Amino acid sequence: MKYDQFKEGSRSALPIVLGFIPVGIAFGVLAVKSGLTGYEAVAMSLIVYAGASQFIAVDMLAAGAAALPIILTTFLVNLRHFLMSSTVSSHFKRKSLFETAVIAAGLTDESFSMAMSDPVKIIGRPSFLFGLQVTSQLAWVSGTALGAVFGSLVNSSSYGIPFALPALFICLLVLQLKNSRHVIVMLVAGVLSVVFKNLLPGNWNLVIAAVMASGAGIWLARNETDEVNQVEGVGPG
Amino acid sequence: MRISILLLIAGMAAVTFLPRFIPLALFTRWSLPEGTKRALHFMPTAIMAAIVFPILFSSPEGNISFEPRLILSAIPVFLFAIRAKNLWGSVVLGMLVYWALGFAFR
Repeated sequence: MKYDQFKEGSRSALPIVLGFIPVGIAFGVLAVKSGLTGYEAVAMSLIVYAGASQFIAVDMLAAGAAALPIILTTFLVNLRHFLMSSTVSSHFKRKSLFETAVIAAGLTDESFSMAMSDPVKIIGRPSFLFGLQVTSQLAWVSGTALGAVFGSLVNSSSYGIPFALPALFICLLVLQLKNSRHVIVMLVAGVLSVVFKNLLPGNWNLVIAAVMASGAGIWLARNETDEVNQVEGVGPG
Repeated sequence: MRISILLLIAGMAAVTFLPRFIPLALFTRWSLPEGTKRALHFMPTAIMAAIVFPILFSSPEGNISFEPRLILSAIPVFLFAIRAKNLWGSVVLGMLVYWALGFAFR
């Protein structure tokens, strides 16, 4: 564990913190409203740590759903992490299973895309990624606790709170756009994801759109071996 | 803490953790085939776009929708992000614009 890298990672998590605290509060409020105790809400944020699926879970709980359908839905919603984990893996050398598990447990849309916007920062520097992830998760858990305790005092749909994470996602997307091929991949993935959302359950729209658009990008870059080889080129793998 | 909720949380945690863990555990031990590695090059862009577009252009039921407050908040954030490449600023700007537009769209 390298403390200076951890601190750097922790600092770079601050925009995520800004998004996670209000949305965590919103989750805490909703969880308690749907019948969870404060401790249960916090435990869910700490142990599951996957925003979208947590919102869906407490929604289903409030509607009286059983555990198994909730778990199955969670699986479908979070399957996208499979793609992120695969992508991150090409920037890491072999680690102990414990270290791998720690990094994997904190992998979210936000930390993934923050890390991939500048992969140089994570190559061979797991402490940086760890700092980024721990700080983000701390914000999510604290937000949940705040919402669970002071829920009646805040209205989470007021102010700009509902747009905190969309704004973060938009900027994280922009940070990935390195050239015109990335812009095309963005448009293909975005349009397909919207079209498929109506047709497919869970988050399959997202998974299938991302895979198809990636394929389109590779096809566009088929004569530009330099670009797609960057992935192996930048690190020890 | 109720046992039933604890079991639910454990189940959710398991199905969330495994897709996060399995590729990292496998592919840092056995390298991915070159072709697959190359295919992952555009994955961050593709995933983020696949997340962002439905937020802006889909109704909660999954139909295509244009919610002016969302789209009008997204445009300045997008332009600002291109120019400034600043996450903090994007989040703050997005929240301010969305909040302000709340007075126009009620």
